[in-house]
Amino acid sequence: MTQTRNLIDENGKRTDGRTIDELRQVKITVGTVKNADGSAFIEFGKNKIVAAVYGPREVHPKHLAQSDRCVLRCRYHMSPFSTDTRKNPAPSRREVEISKVMREALEPAVMLEDYPRAAIDVFVEVLQSDGGSRCAGITAASVALADAGINMRDIVAACAAGKVDDKIVLDINDTEDKEGGADMPVAYMPTLGQITLMQLDGRLSPEQFNECLDKALVGCKMVYDIQRQALMQKYFGNETEVKEEQ
Amino acid sequence: MNDIRRRYVIPGDKIAEGNYRPLMNVVKSGNALYATRIGIAETGRDGAKVIPLSGVYIPRVNDLVIGKITDHTSLSWEVDINSCFSAHLPASDVFGRDFSPARDDMSKHLAVGDMITARVAAFDRTRDPMLTLQDRDLGKIPRGELLKISPTRVPRLIGKRGSMIQTIEQATQTRVLIGQNGIVVVTGRTPEGVEMAVKAIRMVEEEAHTANLTQRIKVLLNVPDEPQGAPAASNEAQKTAEPAAAPADPAEGELEVESEK
Repeated sequence: MTQTRNLIDENGKRTDGRTIDELRQVKITVGTVKNADGSAFIEFGKNKIVAAVYGPREVHPKHLAQSDRCVLRCRYHMSPFSTDTRKNPAPSRREVEISKVMREALEPAVMLEDYPRAAIDVFVEVLQSDGGSRCAGITAASVALADAGINMRDIVAACAAGKVDDKIVLDINDTEDKEGGADMPVAYMPTLGQITLMQLDGRLSPEQFNECLDKALVGCKMVYDIQRQALMQKYFGNETEVKEEQ
Repeated sequence: MNDIRRRYVIPGDKIAEGNYRPLMNVVKSGNALYATRIGIAETGRDGAKVIPLSGVYIPRVNDLVIGKITDHTSLSWEVDINSCFSAHLPASDVFGRDFSPARDDMSKHLAVGDMITARVAAFDRTRDPMLTLQDRDLGKIPRGELLKISPTRVPRLIGKRGSMIQTIEQATQTRVLIGQNGIVVVTGRTPEGVEMAVKAIRMVEEEAHTANLTQRIKVLLNVPDEPQGAPAASNEAQKTAEPAAAPADPAEGELEVESEK
């Protein structure tokens, strides 16, 4: 985490030309995987991620089933071709960890007690990675869960903030993640106002921490608007109001 | 009916604030009700609910379902009812109380692979659903074209007081049997009629939430605007007063049994 070059130029622009409060281009398409019960494809800057949800369905092996609630299983996986140099397709330590935090980020939103003895499987496949893929993955997975018609308290939106050149910036990309000072991915349920994931890699002073968290939450709200738009587009087209038939 | 407010919602959207009764797919938090599914929220005098537009089938007692026999033990059949729970049909339900595994041959009655129409007799989520054939028109389905639709589209396919399904049946000279679990069986005299009905059902599934669907179905099936069949016309008038998807009303589930006659 040692910084070797300036990541913010004299005009206040970052390596990819964004300002410090700017999100990367985010595009979500709902229902891309036909075989899944719910799915979403997200393009978060250069990240390209597919999320597919199956279930609620029978639990196999049976001993994993819980009698009072549903089992949520997440798999985060990076394709061998998603990075510059080939990534071994076997699940790495990092992927196992992200699968776990992703599950924990989604669990508070899903009403697991509505589907006892069943399982919901969430598969997140990173096709192209560009930093912040866990946030993009959670965002897509949450949309896919809603698309699958699973009872949810809220949609989970995720976005990172971090420190670059001693400035707190929104939505860290790959270069800023590797060369910057800190990276803080946050997942948030905007309606309930609850944080479901918060990690921090790097060092921040208490003031910087607060600023960083606030900025990440602002980012989450922006992401939420895009999620909402994507879901509305899939189910209701361009209509925003229910038209009463004559 | 006039004071029902409707709007499109996604999970987490606030539907109503104040003293509303939570009906379905809503969760109460503090003094407000929030949606838990994507769909159309309805707030009325009797409470607030969300009519979902996606999701798998979760059995409910008294639902009419169409299932496939997947296995049998010495005492019951196991039935796949297109849900995350596989259902049980006790042998005593078919053979009566004096059923004896040694004397009665279960596979003679219902073999693995047979399709049946059944009613959910008991289900409370702690145990697998139990089915019964003890009702009019329940039992083995001998023939027909089988198709699967999303269970959330079933009320729309039936329509208000069965208007949609009656339109399709009359125009294509077919019988359409609909299970609440999203399995549909179409039988008819001519393959053309069945094919046309399947096409119409697929169209209803894809465009379930759009306005004026019955009209477009009529165009697809070449039904004149004022058909001679008065009941279908009057039902249509009542139906169009309602928007998009109709709720999964148990009373509507009765309809397809009657249409079987």
